[in-house]
Amino acid sequence: MKEITLTIDGQPVSVASGASVLDAAKALGIEVPSICSHPDLPAYGACRMCVVEIESVRGFPTACTTPAADGMVVRTESETLRRLRENTLELMMSGHPNACLVCDYRAVCEKHKPTPSKAGTSTRCGLCGNRSECDLRELVLSSPGRNLGLPTIYSRKKVERDDPFIERDHNLCILCGLCWRICDKIHGQPAISIVRRGKEARIAASFDRSWVDSGCTFCGACVDICPTGTISDRFAKWHGHPENKILSTCMLCPEGCAFHEMTENNRVVATRMTGFKPENRLCALGRFAYPQLLQDRHRLDRPLLRESGELVPVSQEEAMEALAAALDGFRDGSFLLLGNDTELRETKHLYRSLAGDVLHGKALFMAAGSGAEDLPEELADAIESGAIRAVLSAGNFLPTGLREHLDFLAVIDAFPSTLSASADVVLPASILAETTGTFRDAAGDVKGVGPALPAPEQARPEWHWVRDLAQRLGAEDWCRFRYAPEVTRTIGDDPAPAPLRTRPRDSVKDSLPTRFRGHFLADRVPALRAFGLPSTPAEETGADKRGFPIRRKEEIAPNFHSFLVEAPEIARYARPGQFIMLMASETSERVPFTLTDWDPEAGTILFIIEETGRSSRELCALRAGDRIAHVSGPLGAPLDLSGAGTIALAGGCYGIGAIYPFAKALHRAGKRVFVVLEASSHFLMYFEDELREFCEEIFFTTRDGSMGRKGAVHDVLVELLQSGDKRPDAMAAIGCTLMMQMATEATRPWSDVPLHVALNPIMIDGTGMCGACRVSVGGQTNFACVDGPFFNGHEVDWAELASRRGAFVQVEVEAMPQNGTLAAHPCRH
Amino acid sequence: MNSGMEPTPSRSESKRPQRPARVPRQPMPEQDPRRRVTNFEEVPRGYTPELAMLEASRCLECKKPKCVAGCPVDIAIPQFIGLIKEGKFEEAAVKLKEQTALPAVCGRVCPQESQCEAECVLARKGESVAIGRLERFVADYTLQSGKEEKAVRLPPTGKRAAVIGAGPAGITVAGDLARWGHEVVVFEALHLPGGVLMYGIPEFRLPKHIVQHEIEQLRRLGVKILTDHIIGKTQTVEDLLKTEGFDTVFVGSGAGLPMFLGIPGENAVGVYSANEYLTRVNLMKAYDFPRHATSPVRAAHVITVGGGNVAMDSARTAVRMGAKSTVVYRRAREQMPARAEEIHHAEEEGVDLQLLTNPVRIVVGPDNRVRGVECIRMELGPPDESGRQRPEPVEGSEFIIEADAIVVSIGNRPNPLIPRTSPDLKTTRWGTLEAEEESLQTTIPGVFAGGDVVSGAATVISAMGQGKQAARAMHRHMTGDDPPTPEAIAERLAPD
Ligand SMILES: Cc1cc2nc3c(=O)[nH]c(=O)nc-3n(C[C@H](O)[C@H](O)[C@H](O)COP(=O)(O)OP(=O)(O)OC[C@H]3O[C@@H](n4cnc5c(N)ncnc54)[C@H](O)[C@@H]3O)c2cc1C
Ligand code: SF4
Ligand code: SF4
Ligand code: SF4
Ligand code: FES
Repeated sequence: MKEITLTIDGQPVSVASGASVLDAAKALGIEVPSICSHPDLPAYGACRMCVVEIESVRGFPTACTTPAADGMVVRTESETLRRLRENTLELMMSGHPNACLVCDYRAVCEKHKPTPSKAGTSTRCGLCGNRSECDLRELVLSSPGRNLGLPTIYSRKKVERDDPFIERDHNLCILCGLCWRICDKIHGQPAISIVRRGKEARIAASFDRSWVDSGCTFCGACVDICPTGTISDRFAKWHGHPENKILSTCMLCPEGCAFHEMTENNRVVATRMTGFKPENRLCALGRFAYPQLLQDRHRLDRPLLRESGELVPVSQEEAMEALAAALDGFRDGSFLLLGNDTELRETKHLYRSLAGDVLHGKALFMAAGSGAEDLPEELADAIESGAIRAVLSAGNFLPTGLREHLDFLAVIDAFPSTLSASADVVLPASILAETTGTFRDAAGDVKGVGPALPAPEQARPEWHWVRDLAQRLGAEDWCRFRYAPEVTRTIGDDPAPAPLRTRPRDSVKDSLPTRFRGHFLADRVPALRAFGLPSTPAEETGADKRGFPIRRKEEIAPNFHSFLVEAPEIARYARPGQFIMLMASETSERVPFTLTDWDPEAGTILFIIEETGRSSRELCALRAGDRIAHVSGPLGAPLDLSGAGTIALAGGCYGIGAIYPFAKALHRAGKRVFVVLEASSHFLMYFEDELREFCEEIFFTTRDGSMGRKGAVHDVLVELLQSGDKRPDAMAAIGCTLMMQMATEATRPWSDVPLHVALNPIMIDGTGMCGACRVSVGGQTNFACVDGPFFNGHEVDWAELASRRGAFVQVEVEAMPQNGTLAAHPCRH
Repeated sequence: MNSGMEPTPSRSESKRPQRPARVPRQPMPEQDPRRRVTNFEEVPRGYTPELAMLEASRCLECKKPKCVAGCPVDIAIPQFIGLIKEGKFEEAAVKLKEQTALPAVCGRVCPQESQCEAECVLARKGESVAIGRLERFVADYTLQSGKEEKAVRLPPTGKRAAVIGAGPAGITVAGDLARWGHEVVVFEALHLPGGVLMYGIPEFRLPKHIVQHEIEQLRRLGVKILTDHIIGKTQTVEDLLKTEGFDTVFVGSGAGLPMFLGIPGENAVGVYSANEYLTRVNLMKAYDFPRHATSPVRAAHVITVGGGNVAMDSARTAVRMGAKSTVVYRRAREQMPARAEEIHHAEEEGVDLQLLTNPVRIVVGPDNRVRGVECIRMELGPPDESGRQRPEPVEGSEFIIEADAIVVSIGNRPNPLIPRTSPDLKTTRWGTLEAEEESLQTTIPGVFAGGDVVSGAATVISAMGQGKQAARAMHRHMTGDDPPTPEAIAERLAPD
């Protein structure tokens, strides 16, 4: 091939013909910023970050689209280029929420909240599941100037959550086109493309169909390639950047696709294609269901043995002894083994030997996707007639009706079933990523599986159980099988598993196996129901007619929902500063929210919910006319500020709504009220007009300077304290912990002016019964729900509060709904 | 191990009782400890009808029954046992219900060994009749048979009573007053009625559906139960009398304020009150996380501090949540306030008891998370004026137990919310409400109180006993008359 030589930034470099200037720069190790280029895709030239100067070429060509030519002299750095790129970036980021990127408090904020809040909509990096692996953020943070001066235009597009596994927030899209281009490259015909023009442009399936109906195969390539948080994996997105990646083989069907298992804390949080080529494709099961299967909360995890009628947990020894003793009595051809066809070769090999050589019975491996009713008729007959009297089932493979004909049943499995509940011995199995060995796919090729990750509690690889069992049944030489390769060596020419009719990765319709080890996959991973996969019908929950009706509900700013709810008793007794505890449904948590307004005559209360985490998401999924299962309150001690003449009220986030009742009451009582509001960006500000009505002056602060002054409430509070005529004699601050803490620190020199802060620790009951809400104030322990929520900020132990608030962060990730918003609510299937 | 595998085993069936001359006290079948540590199902499985009749046959039906004197609610014990003997289980249930609103609950959680069964004449000779197990059997029998008993209720009196708190005390008052024809409204702060029965006592000791069934019975009597309604935050006690038109008020708000140890490190992440630990699992059903959204406490080693029933409940819950579970208690085993049966169950399930051990400091990591607890060994000193031997620290015996969760279970006090908002309600120095001994009237005329809010954290049955007492006084307060006896009610409602 012809070589081309050119000079970049003064250094000569040779590249193959056809390479772009960008490739050539890369070969020299020169980083030219770019976001829409990708090594696996042809140049696109959309982002225009990779502009360069080329001698005797006019203008500023993009390096990715310019072919390298002999003798070319290229410059990648110059003042002009820097300015150009900055303008490009500024323009790109003007349509993308960017407050966190220009915020002066980003470092302390990220230390305070090491993981992003699990918001419904990412209105900034601090609420974005992509934060720990975002290319766009990386690009902005590493750009030298970073003055994103253009006002942010936030287009308030609704987050699309109706598809299984994948959700999309178009407000984050920079139209780099990587997603549809990779989809095109992999599938020949892209399921998605950029639709409409200008401000309306966005990524969508044609005719705005749901992705399930669009021909999308849920390979996840677009999720992985998207440099922003636009397209995200609902299950993995809150886990952050995975620590590790393991090359392995998917064993959910006989295709045996190679993939990368992405792990964190030794658990698979996602799987990915090994490359962006058509042959690397994965199906929805391998890409999305796989991690959820492994992390199923109802895995079998201890050996069980039936004693006087009940299955009781026993030691591995006891279980094996009992199993061996029992099977010893069925060496007369009355033993049947039912195995899973898409298993490790090592497991299948030892199963075969156990059933044949050791027990002189039969072995049958059930094809991928089959279940109990697929048991061949002649075997069913043999069981009914008593020819087969003992079964070892490595999955849910036996119709429960046949159970009574058997003298003995053992189950080795990963998930409980009615079959395992009726067994005499149950052994917990390690599955998929928890095992290591080799896999023969339908085409006959042998592939590597593993290394193995830890399995739950006492679960072990099946071939370990079988080996120990066979030894007890007299096959003493099986002790030589200590590691998988020692078994692999003894496998001769084993049969390949039966192929499926259609290949799962070609389509999500009618081609995905419906079961794994005889269990409906959609029982374990409910999102699969969207592809028409069957599941065991759930018991009726019965809609509850009780509860508190929602009269009106609106999203007043992205992620902020105002609720007008009928709760006459609360409306009658509420006072400023009090809160309520809500439960969206009977299975929800009890979560506190501050009251914004109430109307005793109409019997209604108004409160504002910021959508972060599961509980607020459940609430925000309700609509006007729906009922909130429980609203209790008013709780907490009200705060009386009427002793002061001049009061400064500071609010941020939900606190903007929470200071409203104070402003209203104090202003009406003839006090001088100054309102100071804080938001990351102008589009997150709300209630300006409502508040303006009840104060002498209103001050706005934003982190990006897009409205009012750039900064935080404490900047204004300090100014007020320093001013002669507007000096408050009492202050209150309501908002996130960091905001209240910063306000505390900034106003410490004026600690003669009390700063009342509304503390928000974890609460369970909100009535003083549990003590979860303990906070240290002035060296004393207080229950925030009854002694507070208001305390003098200058006496609060903020570090303790921050740590206690984070107590359940890890567990809470598991509670995030996996079925989109609405299905997460138990009353709407 | 017994390796003889029984193929498809079936429960061994007991033969019909032969009425042998000397029947021993019948044990109750229990779930195997190895199995029960994996689930939240009830541990004792209850008598079968055969076992119940066999056990009932042991009762001597004394003319002057001592057992009844031991019962805080005067259940007609020999009579209901007599009916079991004859196989008249439903009639036995009716007899029970005359005196207790919650037989299925009492049969499970009452400390019979120190009440009725302690007084039973057979107790002296050897083994008392298993009164509690028989009570439970009868209650469960009606529950399972699905036959709803008739809601027996006298014609309306036009009087209105407010009951604060839907715990056992409040439920008892509401039941009695409603039967006597009064209009009753129960105000409950939490989202489900039941009090400690719902949020404290775990599922494996008292299934929650049983509590809710009993509460359903109240609703059928016409009692209105308003949940999510916190008296003191909404109406005050006085408001109920003055502006809401109630003729009388009962305060049964319990003892729901957890006490802490007051040692360093107690606000670390990982230190919980027993109330929080149990509420997460019971009321909020965190054992079914993530279907139920409340986070469970995930810990490898849970240390429970305390020696009462609540401590046993916490320690046994920890076992079921998959943790290693240790109880630290500063006195000796004989002084543990928990029921012997509960201590026995806990040990059977693998709970480690560290007796004569007192925590002095929580060991906390730099992230403010619990790493363990420093304890000191104790020895019993000379008896104090109350006759109890006081534990005294053994100098230099400090040691550290590593753990990632500490559950503090050293008792509860009444929540001060109601007295704080009703200053005329006088309290004692323990925070309990002052009430006249006989009528249980508080320092506000017309306002009565009972249960843990008066006696301090006590028992279900004593709360019910006080509820009965208060209900009678409230009836007198409203009508000037004594309340009707069960016989009188039956007579007045007899079809004419
Ligand atoms: C874990 C645990 C285990 C126990 N085990 C046993 C046992 O085995 N046997 C036994 O006999 N006893 C046991 N007890 C003790 C027993 O449960 C209590 O003594 C009994 O429940 C007291 O009943 P009560 O009705 O007075 O109060 P509670 O059951 O405490 O009920 C009070 C109710 O009032 C409500 N309330 C409080 N304040 C207000 C307000 N302001 N407005 C409206 N409602 C309000 C509360 O929410 C609560 O529902 C145990 C206690 C606990 C915590
Ligand atoms: S996509 Fe990236 S830059 Fe945009 S909000 Fe998310 S983390 Fe921040
Ligand atoms: S998941 Fe795969 S098939 Fe579906 S749109 Fe993305 S890249 Fe295309
Ligand atoms: S969705 Fe992601 S990959 Fe697709 S155009 Fe938008 S930012 Fe680029
Ligand atoms: S939330 Fe339970 S005591 Fe405050």
